[in-house]
Amino acid sequence: MFKPTAPLQRNLRRLALTTKMAGKDYYKGTRSGSMGDHTKHGRYLINWNKVRTYRVPEDLSRCTLTPFVATRVERAKGKFTGTRGPIDGAAYLERWKMENGRD
Amino acid sequence: MAATPIVRFTWRNCIIPQADTVLSFLAPSFRPVLCTPQTSIAQFSTSARRYARDPNRNRGVSALRHTGPRRRQTLSVKKEDLPKPVLSRKLKTPVKGDPQHGLWGFFNKDRRLIATPEEDLAHGRAWTVQELRQKSWEDLHCLWWICVKERNRLATEKITREQLKAGYGDFEASERDKTIKLTQRAVRHVLTERWYAWEEARKVARDDEEVDLTAEGEAYIPQIDMDEVELDEELIKDEEFAAETAEPAEPQHGRGRSGKTPQTTNGPIASTVTE
Repeated sequence: MFKPTAPLQRNLRRLALTTKMAGKDYYKGTRSGSMGDHTKHGRYLINWNKVRTYRVPEDLSRCTLTPFVATRVERAKGKFTGTRGPIDGAAYLERWKMENGRD
Repeated sequence: MAATPIVRFTWRNCIIPQADTVLSFLAPSFRPVLCTPQTSIAQFSTSARRYARDPNRNRGVSALRHTGPRRRQTLSVKKEDLPKPVLSRKLKTPVKGDPQHGLWGFFNKDRRLIATPEEDLAHGRAWTVQELRQKSWEDLHCLWWICVKERNRLATEKITREQLKAGYGDFEASERDKTIKLTQRAVRHVLTERWYAWEEARKVARDDEEVDLTAEGEAYIPQIDMDEVELDEELIKDEEFAAETAEPAEPQHGRGRSGKTPQTTNGPIASTVTE
């Protein structure tokens, strides 16, 4: 993963450098992320595992949920009686066995 | 002094002569010509003109340099046939838009430019994590994208308000946006929690005898502990039942059920045994 050139970032903090400044060895990213790998011949090979894909559900119009809940509905905290919390592996497994283990 | 043209004679240009006796019946046009050389004449600056007229009809004509056509040059399109632009706005044909276009998702359902602050203010609170823990993956997926679309709509209206210099409405819209972001945060929290719970369960299942993590056969094979099997008191009094359950069944071990046992063949007896 490429990082911005450290010495310049440290000493010249008052100067907000852009990608176009300070010589060819100064690298500054643009927060777009790494999408592949550089080759020694100057090419860039896209690694499609790194590229983002956005999956939208097909029948979004059928969903009746809204981003909001009525204010009068009280916020209830989760009760995890008999378990160590929401991330309890043993409790998850037991529940899986009861509900989903056998077809 | 004019130079005499140099005749270049190449064998490639010659046609090989054939016997006259064989082809004498042919039409005169097919009669072979004996070694007619195709001459190529070298051109000098002082040579005589090869053509009377310049064969390049488009010499000096450039669309890039806006030279225009040559004098009396005919093109495939005539000036008289060119369509005339409609300058009057009223006479122009109205542009047909697609009412089902996906870009309408960036606007509200009334398709107005901006919503009023009262409309933006009319919202509830964000979902809590506990409320979302009960929801399925499909519901959470849909809810996420509904939040995304609503935020897109709010962002579009924000830009429109800046362009129109509306002067108000930003506060209500930003509050609505914050609430939606809280919902999205809760959705992401629940999914992360679920993943970690699954991961922990997987680690526990590795050491569990009842669970088979390889993809061969059933994943869960319950081991029935006969001591824990609860029997109905009424059935115990029944004599038939007593006769059938005379032989105690051996506890099941390993994969799959081995053969038939009295418990399994005679209807539901134990409440905890699952079939």
